[in-house]
Amino acid sequence: MEFLDQFTVTTLRSATPIVIAAVFGLFSIRAGIFHLGIEGLMLASAFAAVAVGTASGSAWIGLAAAIAVALLLSVIYWFFIDQLRADTVIAGLGLTALCVGGTAFAMQALFDQRGQMASTVRLPRVISGVDEGLLSYVSELTVLTWATPLLIVLAWIVLRRTHLGLQIAAVGDYPYGAVAAGVDASRVRLVAILLTGFGCGIAGCQLAIGDVAGFAENMTNGRGFFALAAMLFGGFSAIATALAGLFFGFADAFGIFLQLNDRSGLPTQFVLMAPFLLTILIVTISGAIRQRRDRL
Amino acid sequence: MNRVGQGAAAILPIGIAVATCMLLFALAGYDIISVILGVTEGALTGFGSFQQTLRWAMPLLLIALGFLFCLRAGEFNIGGQGQMMMGGLGSVAVALLFPGPVWIAMPTALLAGMLCGLIWSGFAGFLKVRYHADEVIVTLMLNFIAVLLVSWVTTGPLKDPAVRGETASTPKIDSALRLGGSDGISPTLLILVGLAILAAWVIAERSRMGVQLRYVGKAPQAARWQGMAVRRLKFQAYLLAGTFAGLAGAFEVLGPNGRLVTGATPTIGFTAIVVTIVGLSRVPGIVIAAIFFGGLQAAILFLPIVSDLPSSGIKILEGMIALFVTAEFLRHWRQR
Repeated sequence: MEFLDQFTVTTLRSATPIVIAAVFGLFSIRAGIFHLGIEGLMLASAFAAVAVGTASGSAWIGLAAAIAVALLLSVIYWFFIDQLRADTVIAGLGLTALCVGGTAFAMQALFDQRGQMASTVRLPRVISGVDEGLLSYVSELTVLTWATPLLIVLAWIVLRRTHLGLQIAAVGDYPYGAVAAGVDASRVRLVAILLTGFGCGIAGCQLAIGDVAGFAENMTNGRGFFALAAMLFGGFSAIATALAGLFFGFADAFGIFLQLNDRSGLPTQFVLMAPFLLTILIVTISGAIRQRRDRL
Repeated sequence: MNRVGQGAAAILPIGIAVATCMLLFALAGYDIISVILGVTEGALTGFGSFQQTLRWAMPLLLIALGFLFCLRAGEFNIGGQGQMMMGGLGSVAVALLFPGPVWIAMPTALLAGMLCGLIWSGFAGFLKVRYHADEVIVTLMLNFIAVLLVSWVTTGPLKDPAVRGETASTPKIDSALRLGGSDGISPTLLILVGLAILAAWVIAERSRMGVQLRYVGKAPQAARWQGMAVRRLKFQAYLLAGTFAGLAGAFEVLGPNGRLVTGATPTIGFTAIVVTIVGLSRVPGIVIAAIFFGGLQAAILFLPIVSDLPSSGIKILEGMIALFVTAEFLRHWRQR
């Protein structure tokens, strides 16, 4: 049982940033924006959480800074793809590259550190002070992991039960119709991208001062792209996307388990490949399903 | 728009991106003049600098030319990085494991590199045309997997026992197999790259297939009605892209590097995409853009010597250019 408890908790911990980024990424993808900047937004927020959190001594201020940075970068991204009609994919990749370079640059310029830096603050735990049994594992979960179900429900409500959600879907599915019906498409895209940025801010913060208490260059390591795969696999529905994100957490936990317990001499690189292979599989399956549905 | 207008439209976003970056550096308290002088020296005027620029322009150019075919066919194959690394892997494996006369081993190593790149890209193409798997995500993931494969090979099967510390690499290949010294370029390499440019130009601009690819990318439905095998053409574009990127990897191994190193050029594939776009998706434009970005790459390695600006500053510049490059400043202003 102890093993199972540990495994479950590791799954939840690894899944948290991916699930949050994926569920909030839905706002962009529903609005018709294939947002490859998610990876970069998460990275920039992770850095902001560590930098501001450490400077202020408060994890909450770190979280606020992470969200603020992600929102700011989101506005820039919106300006380019909406106002200047830049290609969403190339601008998204550019944004991510900018964040990879920018965080490395800021780390060296502001803190004179290279490669990585530690954080003195961590997000608070909901349950603490327990040393044994199931609760000792559960006490590793940060407040953001506990808040994740709430965030998922929130995203679902906005997407499915509000006027805004309807407008976002309209702009994504049939932009000319939406504009003809009097929807300000630019404004709706801005709100959608900002909501995605909000989620990326939380996800990045969880990654940096939730799990490991530190920032490392390129620490997101593809998680933003996993989030995109989760959205595709989840068929753009909030609940299914969250479950797909959870599956990535499971794969991650499984990889950690193999690295710790495998004696067969399987090289670690092959274990680390698992989430990437899983993403390819997921994207292929969801593509095939969509293809079949379109044909009918 | 006429040619001059097109050129201006291509240069304008870069100019604005560079200006924005310089402004940021100035605000961060760096001496812009010394940065600009440093970049110029590292890319152009310094001793051996222009050689370094050409050395880095080569892989960028080859990957960008490959990407061009997919872009023409409307496929966003951003896996050039992984395809190049797999090309290097194939090439180094042949060079190290199959000793033979040079005149057999060297072409075999080159072909092996191209073949590995082709397979890596063809896999993504197969998943796309057969199962509609999103090619952006698939090729991105294949990049990550290629990095891990190279890391495994350089720390496992083909590990150089003499190398210690953080960077893992294979042993050096036999110097008789090298196409160029460690300074990066040689007449042989330049001629081979020239042939590759010519081949790309002929295929893209002067062949039936090039016309068809463009048609397929612009109007897939109409192409289908014309009786073109749209899926096969798209798949062929992937194969071409992989072949060119694989060749870039083979050149890295047989040319400047002489071995396969983990984490040697982690962002070259991304930069190559920007090269294609900046080069207006045309072969001559891509050659010019590749030399420009090759210069930036050379400057990254040189800059720390002359300026206190961290070399990640140049990466910011590249990201900034990618963000700006497809923005339609002119059109936007004309609309008003």
